[in-house]
Formats: sequence, C-alpha cells, structure tokens
Amino acid sequence: MNQYRFDDIVLGMAHSFDVVITEEMVENFINITNDTNPLHSNDSYAKDKGFAGRVAFGMLVASFYSTLAGVYIPGKFSLLHGIDVSFNSPVYISDKLTIFGEVAYMNELYHQIEIKAYITRNKKKISKAKIKVGFHE
Amino acid sequence: MNKEYVLEKVQDIFRDIFDDETLIIKQETSPNNIEDWDSLAQINLIVAIEKDFDIKFNLEEIQKLRNVGDTLALIFQKINKNENS
Repeated sequence: MNQYRFDDIVLGMAHSFDVVITEEMVENFINITNDTNPLHSNDSYAKDKGFAGRVAFGMLVASFYSTLAGVYIPGKFSLLHGIDVSFNSPVYISDKLTIFGEVAYMNELYHQIEIKAYITRNKKKISKAKIKVGFHE
Repeated sequence: MNKEYVLEKVQDIFRDIFDDETLIIKQETSPNNIEDWDSLAQINLIVAIEKDFDIKFNLEEIQKLRNVGDTLALIFQKINKNENS
C-alpha cells in the first residue's frame, strides 16, 4: 500500500493494477447489496436479453476505483470525496480488467487531488471516472 | 471580466455543485439558505471557482467568507490583481 501525503503527489503521477472478475465476486456483491436483478444473477436471462452471460455489476467494477485511491494514489492516507463514473461497456465474469489513474489536478488549499481514471479490457475503455480525493492525517 | 459575467459563471458553478438548474444566487445567499451547503460542498465550490477563474485563495481569506457577496468580492479582487500584474 502506498503512503503518499499531499506534498508527495505531483501532477501526472499514475498507477495501475489488474483484476479478474470472478463469479465469487459477483455472488459476494449480491450478498452484500441484495441487488438480485436477474441480469446479474441469472445466466440464461442475461443471454436471452442479448448479453454474453451474467453481467458484472457496474458498481462492483467501479469499486476498484476505491482500491485505486485507497491503495495506490494516494494510498493509506486517502479520504474519498467523490466519484463521477460512467459505464461504457458490459463486463462479464472472467474478464481481466486494468484499472488506471493519473493525477490531473491538485488543490493546495484543501489538499484535494483529482484523479482521471479509467478501466480497460483488452485496451478498450469500459468505464471512465473522475475521482476527488482528500487526505486524512 | 465584468461583474455580470462573473456572477453568471459563479451561478453556473453553484448550479453544478448543488445539482439544481433553477438555483438563483444572491449576494446574501449563504449556507443558511442552501440545505446541501456543507463542508464538502464548500470544498467543491472553492475548488471549482479556483479552477474556472484561474485564481488561488488562502485559508485566511476562505475563513472570512460568510455568503455569496463576500465570495464574489474576493473573486473580483483576485481577478483585478491578476489583470493588473
């Protein structure tokens, strides 16, 4: 886990990591949220609606933006202020995703940074986000 | 940059932060008039103003702000300083 303080951050600082979406993740997400929508829980329903299979929850995919801020930039001292996120393409079980973020703005007064982030699958962007992060002591 | 333009731009910032396209700000508008104007909204407002007007505030200046009128006055002061330097 990185431990960047505001003064360690520079514009353009970037980090990335990979993750594979598993069936267990999707099941755990259902257990946590009780979102039992069949698009995510029923393979034949999802296929019948024109998808390749059960669609991973957008919010499950977006949860890795939390990991980006909380573990990579800035890491330990992160305090999430907000995320604007878009979902540009469905994600399926077994998809390998790359989460990337780059510091695009720094506010010295409030020690808040903005991270331009996106998630790719085979180099194609499946989600984009603007993340505002502060710091705790 | 004239006062009407600045007011219009600040109003756009408020509408964006508070997600209210009908919001009309006045000189006396303050956190007492807008329910969602909490500490995080204040950070978002100041950060957006700094970015949009390409100005910087310091902590002392921010702590003196009581309402929109104070904020507009500070923005004018900063813009004039930038234009005269």
